[in-house]
Amino acid sequence: MDNDDGDMNTALMVDGNAVAGQLEQIFGRDMTMTVARCAGCARDAAMGALLAFIRGPGVVLRCPACQNSIARIVETPTAIYLEARGAAYLRMAPQP
Amino acid sequence: MAGLISRGFLGRRRPAEVEDRLPPGQYLVTDFPVLSAGPTPHTPLDQWSFTIDGLVKSPVSWSWDAFKKLATETYKVDISCVTKWTKLDTKWLGVSVDTLLEAVQVDPMGRFVMAYSDGGYTTNLPLAEMVKGQAFVAYQFDDKPLEPVHGGPARLVVPHLYFWKSAKWIRGLRLMERNQPGFWESLGYHIHGDPWKEERYSGD
Amino acid sequence: MVQPALEWQAGTVTAIRPETRQTKSFTFALPKWMAHRPGQHYDVRLTAPDGYRTERSYSIASPPEQVGELELSVELIPDGEVSPYLHDVLMLGDQLEMRGPIGGYFVWDVAIGGPLLLVGGGSGVVPLMAMLRHRAAKHATLPARLLYSSRSADDVIYRDELDSLAASDPTFALFYTFTREPPVGWTGYRRRIDGAMLGEVIKPFDKRARVYVCGPTLLVEAVANALVQMELPIEQIRTERFGPTGT
Repeated sequence: MDNDDGDMNTALMVDGNAVAGQLEQIFGRDMTMTVARCAGCARDAAMGALLAFIRGPGVVLRCPACQNSIARIVETPTAIYLEARGAAYLRMAPQP
Repeated sequence: MAGLISRGFLGRRRPAEVEDRLPPGQYLVTDFPVLSAGPTPHTPLDQWSFTIDGLVKSPVSWSWDAFKKLATETYKVDISCVTKWTKLDTKWLGVSVDTLLEAVQVDPMGRFVMAYSDGGYTTNLPLAEMVKGQAFVAYQFDDKPLEPVHGGPARLVVPHLYFWKSAKWIRGLRLMERNQPGFWESLGYHIHGDPWKEERYSGD
Repeated sequence: MVQPALEWQAGTVTAIRPETRQTKSFTFALPKWMAHRPGQHYDVRLTAPDGYRTERSYSIASPPEQVGELELSVELIPDGEVSPYLHDVLMLGDQLEMRGPIGGYFVWDVAIGGPLLLVGGGSGVVPLMAMLRHRAAKHATLPARLLYSSRSADDVIYRDELDSLAASDPTFALFYTFTREPPVGWTGYRRRIDGAMLGEVIKPFDKRARVYVCGPTLLVEAVANALVQMELPIEQIRTERFGPTGT
């Protein structure tokens, strides 16, 4: 797509880099290089490369290949929720 | 930790002249923010349908052409998003859920509704809060066809609850026996979502 | 080695420099500065007296060799919430809550090697500039190219520095493209980045290129798709989407 006036929703989309700080708070380490295997299409992607929808009530991280939801994060004043049923697994280096 | 107060940062507006129309903790916006959980679906209208199923005597579906022939009403309502923005006097045209329900016979056990959308989004509501003019399926906003980024071709609008309940890209309503949590309700958001009671999160 | 916990700290503004009419660079002194990797960012947080809070992420413009301080370059978004505050209210000596450095995916340093192709649009050039400044500080000679898309000549951030770098470093090549108003007499690219343009710029590097793409989401999507179509191995492409263009 070479048109800036293309779908605003796509234009607003970012990627896992945008939630890297949030993920680091949750996991205690950088997660952008962690590989997520999509439970839907079995493709691998670094979490920094996952598509991210961040402007709503929570964050939704999606597979760049099939757009399936891989993980969701909600922060409330009293809790952080993480759901990652869309990941067959997360694969990361042993603690650096 | 209290954190630093940023010198000269005033945050968002709660103007005195509309103070009584803003639910607690909300701020006034005059644009129409775009928030989504996923990419914009693009179902061609000749493949679009709207269905009422679940605990009904027999499910019913409308094609886009049939849906457009249903009686419509105009609405002017205030909408509040759980992310704290409120927009006043939004104008819509759509079909009331009352009109849609005339086409089905709801089982007495069907006291709750799961609204479901293209892209997999869901949200749950009590049936009693969708009738008597409280909810509608809109396909025009501000006298123009509803844009895809705002949920077009058609979205649910339930103005008395937080706007995450007003499912974009809606494709149907499923009548159910129990109040099962939808997409955000199953991840920390309030099962009901009344902005005037500030029911943002489960446990509120 | 255990990573230090990511925590908020109060950075103090020590310098403000306009780069273009829409972009300013802010230099901060941090109580707990730590060397970052080029491409990383900091999260910035504003808190209003009533407790209202909002956060944004800004890429680090300075190289880690600029020890003890941090430079962020921020584009003014006219209807924005945070960038107007930074541009119009923040003064020397003010404090800004920030945490970082953040990110391990969109990073490059000389140890990773080249040849290096950087593709940026608008403020997407900021993390790429950190990479180039780091490369220069290390006197690296691995080949590097920057393809930088801007609306007009007035919108090119770091113009003088980039032109100087291109003039003085034979291993660095610079390509501008202008999408709205090219400079008078411009004979270079004058359109949005597309496959043909990328093909020309990447030619000497061919399939060995390590590519970093940053900027508005639609630009990143278009460039990444074109690179994949050129059969560049996907492991050699790193992307960072900034969201919508500012006006």
